[in-house]
Amino acid sequence: MDLLSNLVTGFGYLAGVQPAVAIVVGVILGILAGAMPGLSPSMGVALLVPFTYKLSPQISLILLGSIYIAANYGGSITAVTINTPGTPSAVVTSFDGYPLTKMGKPGVGLGTSLIASTVGGIIGTIILIFFSVPLARLAVKLHPAEYFALAIFGLATVASLGGKNWAKAFIAAMLGLLINTIGIDPISGVQRFTFGNYKLFDGFALVPALIGLFALSEVFSRMEEYKLEKGVVAKFEKANWPKFMDYWKLKFTILRSSILGTLIGIFPGAGATIAAFLSYDVAKKSSKHPETFGKGNPEGVAAAEAANSSSVGGALVPLLALGIPGSATTAVLIGALMIHDVNPGPLLFVERPDIVYSLFAALLVANAVMLVLGLWGSKLWIKVTIIPKKVLLPSILAISIIGSFAVHYSIFDVASCIGFGIAGWLLKKHGYPAAPIVLGMVLGKLAETNFRRAVLMGGYSVFITRPVSIILLLLAVASFAVPLMQNRKNSSE
Amino acid sequence: MKKLLIAVLLIALLSVSLFAGGASEGSEASFPTKPIHLIVYTGAGGAGDILSRKFVDIASKYTDATFVVENKAGAGGIVAMEYVKSIPADGYTLMYVTKSNISKLAGASEMNPTAEFDWIAMMQIDPECVITNNKTDVVTWEQVVADAKAKDGKQLWLGPAAGGLDNVTAERIWKAAGIKATWVPFASGGKAKAALLGKQGVTYTGNPGEIIGKPDFSVAAVCLDERLPQFPDVPTFKELGVLGVENEIIWRGFAVKKGTPDAVIAWYDDLFEKVNNDEDWIATYAPKGNKLVHYTRDKFNQIVEEDYKGYLEAFGK
Repeated sequence: MDLLSNLVTGFGYLAGVQPAVAIVVGVILGILAGAMPGLSPSMGVALLVPFTYKLSPQISLILLGSIYIAANYGGSITAVTINTPGTPSAVVTSFDGYPLTKMGKPGVGLGTSLIASTVGGIIGTIILIFFSVPLARLAVKLHPAEYFALAIFGLATVASLGGKNWAKAFIAAMLGLLINTIGIDPISGVQRFTFGNYKLFDGFALVPALIGLFALSEVFSRMEEYKLEKGVVAKFEKANWPKFMDYWKLKFTILRSSILGTLIGIFPGAGATIAAFLSYDVAKKSSKHPETFGKGNPEGVAAAEAANSSSVGGALVPLLALGIPGSATTAVLIGALMIHDVNPGPLLFVERPDIVYSLFAALLVANAVMLVLGLWGSKLWIKVTIIPKKVLLPSILAISIIGSFAVHYSIFDVASCIGFGIAGWLLKKHGYPAAPIVLGMVLGKLAETNFRRAVLMGGYSVFITRPVSIILLLLAVASFAVPLMQNRKNSSE
Repeated sequence: MKKLLIAVLLIALLSVSLFAGGASEGSEASFPTKPIHLIVYTGAGGAGDILSRKFVDIASKYTDATFVVENKAGAGGIVAMEYVKSIPADGYTLMYVTKSNISKLAGASEMNPTAEFDWIAMMQIDPECVITNNKTDVVTWEQVVADAKAKDGKQLWLGPAAGGLDNVTAERIWKAAGIKATWVPFASGGKAKAALLGKQGVTYTGNPGEIIGKPDFSVAAVCLDERLPQFPDVPTFKELGVLGVENEIIWRGFAVKKGTPDAVIAWYDDLFEKVNNDEDWIATYAPKGNKLVHYTRDKFNQIVEEDYKGYLEAFGK
């Protein structure tokens, strides 16, 4: 078989000092970039692009691909240990990861996220290797009506995210949607709520909002407790890492989330964050103990991390098979390839199989390297939780400010991060969760632009005449209504 | 004795530094005495960022000056332009610019491009073109026109943001060809191209280089006076009888704040001329369908002024 022999050649290419160094360096930098709030995977990759000018295209792609894979895992480290998601998709990881840490079990959160990321990354890569061409053909067929339905399906998860607090979760999601309306209207080009200020033309950036809502609001809440002298985030006698059997119990959650994550990653514009939210929701609905989600259930961590890591393989599908970037990070990768006069697209498999298959092999190896480095690093990360609060809280504050500045090198972003921090703290005090705001911000643009695009292209009937769209919309209604009815039933009993 | 030695050394050092300082003021050849910041309006890794870094890389062959690339992304370049506007006009802040910035300024800002900046070097001319999916029945320009007439305004043209350069180009083409169509804006050119591959629309408006390596795409026609040597089979709109869109291009170049000293601009002229003739620069950008040029400030400022007027007109301002 052609593919397998090509793959063997790809692995053969890795047998050298340069590729090995590229993978290890890429994974280390990726984990660090991911863990640093403000440095998203796409920025981590972009920052390294200038260093690849003098490298061969193969080594460049191996280095950047390794960063991409590892950054999606890195985001979970700070999400689990200090409730500061390093990447947007790690927001979902923090739902159960941070409660685990507060229960004195940071080892469970860190271990689960590492294993789920590794397995998810490998499954995503395998799907990429074997099915990229047919899947890419499918991806470009997805009509804006279907993207809209997908976004609505994602928004419907707010009902199960909120649990008994669904009304407040719903309001929070609405807030996220409203924040999204600020900026230049993406379809008509008209300014909305910008008050003529060019800094608001693109609306509020997601990452500073995220850091504010999660990290800063947590710092503010902790400061209210006043007892900072001795407190630490978590007390634990000995780091209890999960045993093999603990991981084995998560096998179906990880497998299901990995496949879902890869599939969502394939569609241009969807991406890791939506993948994580949706597979968390699916995991919760199919769990025997849905009530423990959000309170430190390892299944929640596994679902989120397997999905966001596997979405990397998915996002590479349209890049390699069609030459079209499906995510911010793959857009950077295209640029990096073009520097070397390599034009991604279907011809790449024929003209430069060396590049394609050495990347495939490198992604598999990078996942393994990530596992080894992650196991070693986790022993270090876990110590973050025993740093005294009087040291940790100011550090989080400083990291948050640097992180939000790093996005666009803009003080405006820092100010909006602090604003979101205060808002998040006030909302939390009154029982409004922050996650639905992020959900609203991530999905709002996808829902709105695709709704209007679909109407432009096919009129209002397009949502019910396309089967995928109508099925997704019906599923969304069901996934919104069922948890609400269950809640009502439970509370009336 | 020791004190005397130190005193002599100090005087020697002082006079050397004075001399050096005086020299740097007097001669333009030694313009930069500190790093030059190159402001890029796209994010790290974007096409403009990569071009700017390539320029810095090549420039380092011809000058010892240090360039620091700084990304000031946002609002289609307005963030970067506001930043450059706020900084002294000493030449130490150079800005990467494209024609897209002009359409953005005309559409969303009160800033006048030639009043605020000196447009000192236009380096690339990339013609606009109409791209089709050759796995459909509408591939050539004639087929696009016939399809447009049959659909009577419902033919879908896919592309990036509404009111952007590509959108305005498309509307000018419609007017020149006497057809009607609907512009469907996507979040990025890449996503619009994906939709064209999925046969969700009939055309994509962009640049010829975008089809390289993608066998499913064809260029139906290109906005130029004569055919591109890199794409000899692609007809121009002019030869197809669609007149008045020969100059629908995107240019790329560099600008500084208005009021930058002439001597500094002369230093830049010299550097840009060298980069324009550099083999590596040519090998990187010529095959993509670009015309590589070096227009200095008089010509470039004039082009910017005309483009700005054209956009104001297009937006009904």
